[in-house]
Amino acid sequence: MPRSFAHIWFVAPAVVLMIVILIAPILVAATLSFTDYSLGNTTADWIGWKNYDRIVSRSSFQKMFVATFTYVAVVVPLAVGLGLGAALLINSLQRFGDFYKTIYFLPVMAALLAMAIVWEFTLHPTVGLVNETLAMSCGTALEAIPFFAQGCARNFPLWLGDKDYAIWTVAFIGVWQGFGFNMVLYLAGLTSVPRELYHAAEMDGARSGWERFRLVTWPMLGPTTVFVVTITCIRSFQVFDTVEAFYPQGGGPSKSVYVMMFAIFEKGIQQNLMGLGSAVTIIFLVFVLFLTLIQRWLIERRVHYA
Amino acid sequence: MTRFSAAETWKHAVLIVGALIVILPFYVMLSYSLKSPGEIERNEGGFFGSQAMMIDERCVKRGEPDRAAIAAAAERFPGSTDSEIQAALMAELRAACSRRPAVFNYTMAFSEAPLLRYLLNGVIVTASIFFIQVLVALPCAYALAKLRWRGREVVFSMVLFCLLIPVHAIALPLYIMLAKVGLTNTYAALVIPWTISVFGIFLMRQFFLTVPDDLIDAARMDGMNEFAIIWRVMLPTAVPALLAFAIFSVVAHWNDYFWPRIVVTGNRDLFTPPLGLREFKGDADGSFFGPMMATATIIVTPLIVAFLIAQRRFIEGITLTGMK
Repeated sequence: MPRSFAHIWFVAPAVVLMIVILIAPILVAATLSFTDYSLGNTTADWIGWKNYDRIVSRSSFQKMFVATFTYVAVVVPLAVGLGLGAALLINSLQRFGDFYKTIYFLPVMAALLAMAIVWEFTLHPTVGLVNETLAMSCGTALEAIPFFAQGCARNFPLWLGDKDYAIWTVAFIGVWQGFGFNMVLYLAGLTSVPRELYHAAEMDGARSGWERFRLVTWPMLGPTTVFVVTITCIRSFQVFDTVEAFYPQGGGPSKSVYVMMFAIFEKGIQQNLMGLGSAVTIIFLVFVLFLTLIQRWLIERRVHYA
Repeated sequence: MTRFSAAETWKHAVLIVGALIVILPFYVMLSYSLKSPGEIERNEGGFFGSQAMMIDERCVKRGEPDRAAIAAAAERFPGSTDSEIQAALMAELRAACSRRPAVFNYTMAFSEAPLLRYLLNGVIVTASIFFIQVLVALPCAYALAKLRWRGREVVFSMVLFCLLIPVHAIALPLYIMLAKVGLTNTYAALVIPWTISVFGIFLMRQFFLTVPDDLIDAARMDGMNEFAIIWRVMLPTAVPALLAFAIFSVVAHWNDYFWPRIVVTGNRDLFTPPLGLREFKGDADGSFFGPMMATATIIVTPLIVAFLIAQRRFIEGITLTGMK
């Protein structure tokens, strides 16, 4: 290849933008997290680890960690499991598989904020479709189930307004929105499993569908699973739209849905506590980096043993 | 013909239940966008509602006849008392203010808020983001894949490192930096953080690696310079990858709510569609469910329709580029 200096013009814009837009902000956040900076102030005081101290000790931030990890711990296994389940079912169908695929993918395309507002109506305690449907069970055999008995005697859950249900309801919407994406990734993964492996497994005595899944499908889907789990983790750590739409102030009933992105938004943008917001940002970045490193390590380990 | 089996039926049953749950909010959104406030509140009228004429109370309130209007109308009702004229005028007004619920909801969506402006903003922002991303990423990807120069490995590892950074997570320092240079509440603020797509660079580099060197050498023989090679040789070969990337980029930024929410405060002229819907919700009272659902439908429809038309491409685009 000839020597030319054209590459400088090609690479420079990208490199400059990477430094200014992606790398510099991390350094800015890291620095500000040790200060009490607010926008509009000309100076800021160096306060050491105080911001981090507050995050570790204050109860509102403890609630933030509980809410974030509960959300992630619910959404990741369900969105991955349902994605895999839907992919396996659709893949084994003789007909109409594409029909389900299309429907399950719809939530991925729709603006989450818009759908959050619709869910809020659907889950409305009195006029919402969900509770109205549940109320139809009253007077039928379903009333034998404690949940329905309680609902019919008094009222059905407030869902988003009830501190015992709020985080689960928001997590449900996260699963609803995300599992179609995982399903499509798994469907792509399934097409690359060689047919012969199933025949070979059958020869070796793997008769039941479950045996074939355990011996062939699951191991072959390993790389897909690592990718799907990581991406779902990172996405669910970043949940914001639904939380802000349902609880513009304060993060839900007794802060039970006070997730990290909302905390960054509230502390930094709404209350102009940039130092504190930056500290949450840094902790958040550490989590995400940690997750991605685990993913890379898992993939590399596979490569070594394969 | 396929044979009917119990297992197959069970699978369909499970998948249909799943599909119903997935479809539920779309059904609610579309159905409410067609119904009158009363039907929404009492949950009646099925999917389309009865579409009986309803009276737009706001329209009535706005047009309520005052003394002057009654005096002016006196000629048309000779021999009537003032109160009779008023009653007649009110009846006319109510007739003029009655609408089909579906028409009412969708006209309200456009008249209560500058929805067209929001949609236009959405188009401007997503289009600018995509074009700048390509403008920045394509030459860089070409240099990384097809040119040999000192520092190439360094730049590529920088790309790999930046792939780890979710832009939403560094929103706060980005906001501070934009505020410092006075760019908050501008189109620039909506676009700038997304101008660099490391994923785009990575994707395009992988794609360019598969393009044979002979093609580029031939172009050089023909006297093309490197700029011309990028835009006239590499770009055309990269169309499938670019299309996938375009779908990924447009879907992400049309639907993005977090970043616009942070960087645009109060200035309605800059609202993107999700921000507009949020604002609508903020000052909506009970009777406005219909128009709000109409707004949501209008915002969600373009991408859904595009997806239904070009499903395969969309699924490829979203999953191929599903790294973020």
